[in-house]
Amino acid sequence: MAYTITDLCIGCGMCKLVCPVVAIEGQPRKDHRILAARCIDCGACGRICPQAAVKDPSGRVCQRIRLRRRWPKPRISEAACIGCTVCVQSCPTSCLGLTAPGGSRESVRKAVLVSPKACIGCGFCAADCPVGAIEMINPEPF
Amino acid sequence: MELGCTGKILVVDLTTGRIRPQAVENAVYENFLSGLGLGAWYLYHNIASHADPLGPENVLGFVAGVLTGSGSLFAGRWLVVGKSPLTGCWGEANAGGAFAPAIKQCGFDAIFFSGISPRPVYLFADGNRAELRDAADLWGLDAGAAEARLAEMHTGRKRPRIACIGPAGERQSLIAGVVHDGGRLAARAGLGAVMGAKRLKAVVLAGSQRIKVYDRPGVVRLSRELSATVQNQPPFVSGKVAAYLGRLVRALPAQMETDGLLYKMILRKWGTVGMNQMSIEMGDAPVQNWRGTHHDFDLDTSAALAPDVFTRPVVAKYFCYSCPLGCGALVEGAPGTPPAHRPEYETAMALGPLCLNADAESIFRMNEMLNQAGMDSISAGATIAFAMECYEHGLITRDDTDGLELTWGNSTAMVTLIDKMIRREGIGDLLADGSRVAARRIGAGSERFAVHAGGQELPMHDSRFDPGFALHYAVEPAPGRHTVGSLLYYEMFQLWRQIEGLPGPSRFYLKRSKYDTDVEKARMAAACSQFVNLINAAGLCLFGAFLGVHRLPVFQWLDAVSGQPRPPADYLRIGANIQTARQAFNFRQGVDPLAIQVSDRALGRPPQSRGANKGRSVAVEKLVGEYFQQFGWDRRTGQPRKSILEKIGL
Ligand code: SF4
Ligand code: SF4
Ligand code: SF4
Repeated sequence: MAYTITDLCIGCGMCKLVCPVVAIEGQPRKDHRILAARCIDCGACGRICPQAAVKDPSGRVCQRIRLRRRWPKPRISEAACIGCTVCVQSCPTSCLGLTAPGGSRESVRKAVLVSPKACIGCGFCAADCPVGAIEMINPEPF
Repeated sequence: MELGCTGKILVVDLTTGRIRPQAVENAVYENFLSGLGLGAWYLYHNIASHADPLGPENVLGFVAGVLTGSGSLFAGRWLVVGKSPLTGCWGEANAGGAFAPAIKQCGFDAIFFSGISPRPVYLFADGNRAELRDAADLWGLDAGAAEARLAEMHTGRKRPRIACIGPAGERQSLIAGVVHDGGRLAARAGLGAVMGAKRLKAVVLAGSQRIKVYDRPGVVRLSRELSATVQNQPPFVSGKVAAYLGRLVRALPAQMETDGLLYKMILRKWGTVGMNQMSIEMGDAPVQNWRGTHHDFDLDTSAALAPDVFTRPVVAKYFCYSCPLGCGALVEGAPGTPPAHRPEYETAMALGPLCLNADAESIFRMNEMLNQAGMDSISAGATIAFAMECYEHGLITRDDTDGLELTWGNSTAMVTLIDKMIRREGIGDLLADGSRVAARRIGAGSERFAVHAGGQELPMHDSRFDPGFALHYAVEPAPGRHTVGSLLYYEMFQLWRQIEGLPGPSRFYLKRSKYDTDVEKARMAAACSQFVNLINAAGLCLFGAFLGVHRLPVFQWLDAVSGQPRPPADYLRIGANIQTARQAFNFRQGVDPLAIQVSDRALGRPPQSRGANKGRSVAVEKLVGEYFQQFGWDRRTGQPRKSILEKIGL
């Protein structure tokens, strides 16, 4: 699978910065390229590229979302979450955590988005939650 | 590559520093799946015969199962495998936390280490690279401190997951384990000593690779159904009632087929310590180095170790990766330290009634010391009980114990002794390698007080209470483990519902029938071995398996992950292949399975004169041949036939 970069690339390096697994190579102002073996298909490069130079694995050109705060974010249903920690481990930027301990033997620590700024909107957490407690939402423009 | 697996292993030669990823042929997955099976296949081929467990030729593996990361539940277990320095046999230890997915997220199903590093190192891998790095500054640190330091050193975007050894592993204590997440131990078989001998302080994993699954929504559908079953917790009996339930089990001459749902409820409410008093009362938990009974540790005494005592300081449940149950718990740590892990049942019993110790506070303390040092609490407790009995008989005296008064139940002396064992100081050095080695050092007939199977201290499940345990203690390629099978486990697994030809137990039966040595018992034991091997190849938790195959959709998950449905019997055949590989491993290492002995006491020789297990003895040797035969091994010697080995590529 893996994402690809087309020759519309101007070498701004935004994708290289956002890629969580260092899968993008390239010198400033030169064409960048994605190392297929490393790419985990998170799509962050596509969301950030100002030149629409990134294609997803099916060959579609990715839509840029200009403001990072408008990237999709996980919404975790506290009621549905069973505290299994899968999403915490799935997140490539470790921006999910568990609520702090400090209760009793009945306390289940639920998943929370601890660092929303680090979230790259990949949706892996939602895809991997074994009980479907996470939904990806598009934050309202304001 | 089998879907659900990465198709690759990482092979590290610590002597030369050479690290290489290696592709694994499909046939290996077909015969052995991943996890334990992959480990058995690799170690069989790559450890020279008659290898020194602490030498460079031993291979230490960290393996993850096929269901881990697939959307399945209960799939957060990983294993450490290697030749055990404690038993000289196949060695494996199992732990939870979040290390299993971390292995696969680096792009590997397993990581194997051979050789001996010239200096302390740790492995760092993140899916793009794998490097050995200097661990001089980490050597000597407690497990928790080492993990914290490593976490500070690796502040990439992905938070690393770490497995490491503490001082016990570094000092090659033969009862040392491998630690993860501040005190979850892959404790058994002394594999921490192997890691220490290799000068490998830690394995630090920070990958983000994804696991490919044929039908993830299908897997998740099954998971949601199971989760609903697990979450459903009827208002449940109090701790006291559980204790009296144990008393009832003891008193009645008959018993009913046990449904694992009962265990689920106990585990959900209290964790494993929910069994503390109940087990003592029914005769499952051994007392006073296996010679005592509930009379020596009565209900009033065990009240100090009641489930509620262990749950009072809890600040939150602890869940391993993908677990819907959460049997673990975090308790307040010492001032200035993070929350600690609550002692488990095994720990509480080994450091409690086995030593006639009713001081819960000392158990919490010793548990934490052992977790930080990376030492197996079962073996440590059992070795102390052994030492106490030696002391009582004058085989060791105050001169030998550095002045410690090793009388039964002396919790202050126990705390000091644990500290000495960790440091290998004085009497601690004598005991740091477990009871069999200690008995050899002490001599004078002390071997009769060392309760073990093939050198591994027996866990806190009395084989006189459930003779099914005795058979597994004796015949498993990794002897002396309680996590494979018993008559109770067989009832809970409910395999006969999905696999034709397996005996279904009667709903209601006389307790004395448990001690009959009919062929059926061997068949049931073989089925347990096969099934639990499969569970360990899948990366699942035994407590999930207790729910039974009619609730835990292990076969359906495997089908949905691979996209190649197989009948359940075929999956059990994979479990049998794994058993054969481990048995063949032992033969290659010069182990005679018939020489693996379970201590007389654990078999009721002579039988106890009072207590729940009064008059009971277990004729385990009558079933050994039958058990071997279930796998097509030689009935007399236990050796797997060549034709079978060839068939599965060994
Ligand atoms: S899709 Fe994600 S992992 Fe792949 S190159 Fe783009 S940012 Fe990196
Ligand atoms: S994966 Fe789902 S159930 Fe598990 S912790 Fe995350 S949100 Fe909760
Ligand atoms: S979408 Fe979920 S998994 Fe992806 S970065 Fe955000 S929180 Fe992490």
